[in-house]
Amino acid sequence: MELRLEQVTKRFSDLTAVHSVSAVLDSGVYGLLGVNGAGKTTLMRMLCTLTRPTAGQILWDGEDIFEMDMRYRKLLGYLPQDFGFYPDFSVQDYLMYVASLKGLRPAVARARTEEMLHRVGLYQVRQKKMKKFSGGMKRRAGIAQAVLNDPKLLILDEPTAGLDPNERIRFRNLIGELSRDRIVLLSTHIVSDVAYIAKGFFLMKDGQIRHRGSMEEILKEAPIKAWRCLVPGEKTDALRNRYQVANFKTNAGGCELRILSDQKPAEDAVEEVLTLEDVFLYYFGEKAEKEDAAVL
Amino acid sequence: MLLYYELKKIFSGTGNRIALLFLIIFLGVSCYCAVTDINVRYTNEQGEDERGFSAAQKLRKAQLTWAGPLTEDTVAAVIEKNARIIATPEYQSDDVTQNNIAYGWTMDYRALRDVITRSFCEFRSYDYYRINSLTPADAADFYPNRLKTLKTWLDTEAKDQYSQEEKAFFIARYQEMETPLYFTWKQGWESLLEYAVMAQMFLVLTLSFAAAGLFAGEFSNRADAVFFSACHGRGKAIKAKIGAGILFVTGAYWIYWGAYSLFVLGMLGGDGASCMIQVGMGWKSIYNITYGQLYLLVSAGGYVGTLFFLFLTMLVSAWTGSAVVAVTVPFLLIFLPSVLGNMQADWLAKLTALLPDQLFQLHLGVQYFYLYRAGGHLVGTLPILFVLYTVLALLFLPCLYRVFRRAGKR
Repeated sequence: MELRLEQVTKRFSDLTAVHSVSAVLDSGVYGLLGVNGAGKTTLMRMLCTLTRPTAGQILWDGEDIFEMDMRYRKLLGYLPQDFGFYPDFSVQDYLMYVASLKGLRPAVARARTEEMLHRVGLYQVRQKKMKKFSGGMKRRAGIAQAVLNDPKLLILDEPTAGLDPNERIRFRNLIGELSRDRIVLLSTHIVSDVAYIAKGFFLMKDGQIRHRGSMEEILKEAPIKAWRCLVPGEKTDALRNRYQVANFKTNAGGCELRILSDQKPAEDAVEEVLTLEDVFLYYFGEKAEKEDAAVL
Repeated sequence: MLLYYELKKIFSGTGNRIALLFLIIFLGVSCYCAVTDINVRYTNEQGEDERGFSAAQKLRKAQLTWAGPLTEDTVAAVIEKNARIIATPEYQSDDVTQNNIAYGWTMDYRALRDVITRSFCEFRSYDYYRINSLTPADAADFYPNRLKTLKTWLDTEAKDQYSQEEKAFFIARYQEMETPLYFTWKQGWESLLEYAVMAQMFLVLTLSFAAAGLFAGEFSNRADAVFFSACHGRGKAIKAKIGAGILFVTGAYWIYWGAYSLFVLGMLGGDGASCMIQVGMGWKSIYNITYGQLYLLVSAGGYVGTLFFLFLTMLVSAWTGSAVVAVTVPFLLIFLPSVLGNMQADWLAKLTALLPDQLFQLHLGVQYFYLYRAGGHLVGTLPILFVLYTVLALLFLPCLYRVFRRAGKR
């Protein structure tokens, strides 16, 4: 089981949404991180055969996915970012319909639908029309449809958008359970959603994968450290202008800042453990954007 | 299972349910118009107008007294009876009520009066009072007049409009009609056919709302990504969609058309199916067919037209991904000919007679004098309309499949 991307590029007239992306994925969960507009969705849509690459190819076990056609889609589960459904269908009808779209036999479809309704906590409302669902319920229905066919490749585009904290925890656990013996590629800009379940990460910006590897590798590669320091209120602006601030908390004694820097930003600054969120912020955060703009 | 859920999508949509409700209302309107048509009104001995089921029954009973072969003797008897009525004080009175009483005496031969008028008027004219100037001796000209007026028209007014071969074609068709014609009560068929155009156009325009959403709905609901990334999303599921479209259109058409036909014929009577259309509205037609055969043609034409318009709507919907754009197509194609029709050019009239809306107007189409050359033979509008739009409607299906299959890869 291997998904290989070779120099995959997608151009829309004068915009290159994805630029020469190469990667190899085997069994496990992968996080695709990037800010909005980084090209994550376009890349995922190509992996789902919804749009063709302008150049390069995508191979499943060495075979072009577009040539595999139906055989490839049979292995695929997809939750789009902009998940749509049929508003007048009940969730049970919707899942039964998607199950038949995915080629499940009626008896299997019924069993899988019932199982997934239980797993995503929608069994009690299975007859309710989906147009009456809350955002979180719709998202859960979306997750259920993606895994109905027990896919070998599960692609989830911003799956936690609209979920409350409890639902996000439940989702993380579900993905953890599902990750065995399949490839799960999950895009998000909420780093904590994938930080502890993914075995590999792709950090994407401007259509390119800028950084990749396990969490340890990415943290090790990052040319920064995380510092905590307590400073008087009037000094915060100077520090914020000079360094990238990951967190800002006002205390009685002043302001507590989490600063990302390769140097010690203040005399009393204490080094802390660097997290993936810090690295994400360092690469793609506000300061990084400003620096890019200055270069341009 | 896919087919079942595709049909469920159609019937569960609120918009589609409203469209089906409108369809029931339009069915009621069409039925009402057909059974209250002016030709189904009965004027009683007091000169009062009656409408509805009882009026139709009285009119039917009165007209059945003339049922039988429409011989010259019958025509002479009608002319004679008419002459007696117009000589009465009631007919000649200045009082409208008295006139209406006299009109009431004509109820039994009203349909025959119409066909006699058509025979004795010039080819392109209709004078309702023509019968008043006829004598029983004129009855001998009743059938010969049909061919005579055609020939006169072809030699004068239409002299440069047709080739000699085309003129010979019309004349041969006229000569093929067997006489005497058989007359009986046939108003049920005439009213049914008269309002068929309205009923069928209502149907197409209403169903186009449902048909437009069948494919574009995947995009407007943003369900296309899941649809196209699924195993059958670019194959079997599209076929199921097309199958659901065919079943929906076919079911809706035949239920609607069947209900309309049963209601109108139930109210007005189904007698006269074996009468030639020349004994009524089709006196000048080059198609020697019965009312029953014309009904079958109109039914089939309506079905082909409905398939054509709705498959085209689905195709546009799949192509553009927009139900709004798709739904305008049948409206444009149905109403465009009425705009073109105002332009008085022969070539344009000949062209508009082949537009798809004509499939809903076959009762008028049988009265057209347009000929076309196909495969070295002269043919009228009807065969061309049937062949052309059946082929096009069938061609739309593989196009629909291919267009929608590629739609997700835009």
